[in-house]
Amino acid sequence: MYKRLKWIRVALSLLFFLLITLNFIYFAYSKTNLSPVLHLQFVPALLGLFTGTAVFFAIILVLTILFGRVYCSSLCPMGTYQDIVSRFADFFKSKKQRREKYRKPNNILRYSFVLLAFAPLAAGITLPLALLDPYSNWGRVSNEIFSRGENFIHNLLSTIFPDAIFYRGYASLVIPVLLFSAFILLLVTVMSALRRRLFCNTICPVGTVLGAISRYSAFRPVMGSDCNHCGICETVCKSNCIDKEKREIDNSRCVACLNCTTSCKRGSVTYQFVWKKSASQSDKPFSGERRQALLTMGLAGTALVSRAAGLSPFRNEKSEKEAIAPPGAVSIQHLKDNCTACHACVAACPNGIIVPSTVEYGIDGLFLPVLNYNNHFCGYDCNACTKVCPNHALLPMTLEEKKLCQIGKAKFSMRNCIVYTDKTDCGACDEHCPTKAITMIPYNGTNLYIPKLNSDICIGCGACEYICPAVPVKAMIVQSNPVHLRAQEPLVEEQKKIKVQEFGF
Amino acid sequence: MERRNFLKSVLYGGLVSMASLKGNPLLSSGRMEVVSDEKNDLVAVMGGEPAQMYSRAIEAMGGISRFVKKGQRVVVKPNIGWDKSPQEAANTNPQLVAAIIKDCLKVGAKEVVVFDHTCDTWQSCYKNSGLEEAAKAAGARIAFAHDEKYYRTVKIPSGVRLKEAKIHSEILDCDVWINVPILKNHGGARMTISMKNFMGIVWDRRFWHANDLQQCIADCSTFSKMPVLNIVDAYRIITQNGPKGKSLDDVQLAKALFMSTDIVAADTAAIKFFSQYKPVELNAVSHIGIAEKMKIGTTDLDSLSVKRIKI
Repeated sequence: MYKRLKWIRVALSLLFFLLITLNFIYFAYSKTNLSPVLHLQFVPALLGLFTGTAVFFAIILVLTILFGRVYCSSLCPMGTYQDIVSRFADFFKSKKQRREKYRKPNNILRYSFVLLAFAPLAAGITLPLALLDPYSNWGRVSNEIFSRGENFIHNLLSTIFPDAIFYRGYASLVIPVLLFSAFILLLVTVMSALRRRLFCNTICPVGTVLGAISRYSAFRPVMGSDCNHCGICETVCKSNCIDKEKREIDNSRCVACLNCTTSCKRGSVTYQFVWKKSASQSDKPFSGERRQALLTMGLAGTALVSRAAGLSPFRNEKSEKEAIAPPGAVSIQHLKDNCTACHACVAACPNGIIVPSTVEYGIDGLFLPVLNYNNHFCGYDCNACTKVCPNHALLPMTLEEKKLCQIGKAKFSMRNCIVYTDKTDCGACDEHCPTKAITMIPYNGTNLYIPKLNSDICIGCGACEYICPAVPVKAMIVQSNPVHLRAQEPLVEEQKKIKVQEFGF
Repeated sequence: MERRNFLKSVLYGGLVSMASLKGNPLLSSGRMEVVSDEKNDLVAVMGGEPAQMYSRAIEAMGGISRFVKKGQRVVVKPNIGWDKSPQEAANTNPQLVAAIIKDCLKVGAKEVVVFDHTCDTWQSCYKNSGLEEAAKAAGARIAFAHDEKYYRTVKIPSGVRLKEAKIHSEILDCDVWINVPILKNHGGARMTISMKNFMGIVWDRRFWHANDLQQCIADCSTFSKMPVLNIVDAYRIITQNGPKGKSLDDVQLAKALFMSTDIVAADTAAIKFFSQYKPVELNAVSHIGIAEKMKIGTTDLDSLSVKRIKI
């Protein structure tokens, strides 16, 4: 029975792992939008609790209260990745090395990381939690490393089949993000190769918070009275949380992988409903930790309450003028409050103009998505980024809404314009402007036309800035709206339809 | 007599502008052989559907076999610059492009290739313009043009400002190519027709805008490998807010088509037709005048054998 349950668990883990990872790879060109699967992630759901993702947060909480840390075993892509790594690492280990044993929880470390992540959140700063979130880290790793690898293979194929497979330019390289992602990947890989789910029980703040909750979960693995202390279950435990001597399982570290239940020869390790029995009994042996568990939940709860109340004593209210947030971000502050920098939007942008920030938003906005018009501009008929955000850090927008979403305003400086400096025709900005905020008007009695800008209908898409050929300083530069506005509708210019009978020559 | 002069000037223009005579399809592809009774320099058609107007026009030009020979690799170069539907008239009409492709294949073209260096996101342009689908259905191959690696640098010795350019390798490697622009008003170049359509065969169009757009447009038409035929789609035309257009208000249903071996003549005829919708001085579209001075072609339509067809 447990064998089947475990296989279902493994299948689910792999399915979520694959679907989540695919969101970051080759996404923009694939036909289907897989992003709904991203909603069931703890940190995004938590941050979006008051902006539309409460239901997903509730689902994860209920799952944890009922079944323990199933989030960690099946929903979290980083968790499944560690299982995969440790599986591979087993090939290189001797039989003895493969055997796990009980280890004491590393409490100082795990509660320190919880403090590091949630104390700033209570003070209105999201960044540390975003940088420690396993899902968002997986997103960044997928985007920075796996996606580039896939791009490389794709481009190799494009040289072999030049007519069928097109060359794909690489995503903008932001070195700090690449280094950070590589560091996380290396850390998790090494830790899991050596000690399986150690990362989940020492560093991951989500693991620790869910662990605190799962101490009280309804279903959990229990060692029966007919256990003969053979210790097989202990040797297969990914979390090193089974103590065969005391016949106890530390449920705060258990990720409900069910290895112990399937390995027990006597069938005395069972995954069962324990609420009927006195909960305090199962808590007794770890009563010292009960306080810590409660503190953890208290801290996370405080962070939530402070978010609900909109408290933000240490928040940096000053937003950097030049940083343009993607459509749907509402404001730079909204983005900072909600975004976990998972980079699903970065992966989704077909034009590659959403890039991870470094200093653009200030230090508390590290790695958040920011627009960069160096290599392209925001497509007028595209709202891909707003559709993939797991927690409405970028609010979903219909195409009609997005076409009026003013993320910034172009600013025209005539003294840099080609028409003014070279006295020749140009009009590249006018040509590209989708709303006709830019029109060409006769220029000072010459035969030339010069751009005229109506910023009320400009949406800040950056087409003019991208194409402006003026060097070294462009004549059209989009300036950020720190709070996004609604642009006026493009002017309607009705034209009488006429019928012409002659060729005209 | 006038026709002979015209041919002479075309040959002369070709001579001065070419680095190599041998590679010139205009001269080497047996242009003089008689295929049809009529061989006009410029044909204008109005009142029909795109494919219908094309077939009438090409007949009056002497048939496609005058330009495309059996076994040749042909590029048909429409305007696919924008992420817009065919009704919005920012891109060449897909029915017209399909008709040209089928005609080329009918006379034995080995392969017909369609591409454009788009302004908006290339996949959206290819798809939403309806051109990818239409071209594939007609039997053409779609080529990619969104990355610099698909272009090669060539010299343009007669260019005044544009002395070299990265041109799409499909153009460089084909036997002949057919230029199929759409007639539109244009904020910068004033009008965009056949000559302006060359911006879609080059990689760096910013250079043009930064270095006297009108001169660069003319310069590029001194390129040694000119299209054997220019076919101007004027079925639907953008008469305001071009070249992209903002809404269907910008579009007029003109139901016309112009075809010429002389790129300047094709554009001149198209501008004169366009002027009936929105007055445009030929002088204002200054790349036309520059091109005539550079002996790329003529604006004097009366010097050509012109056929006008009303359907």
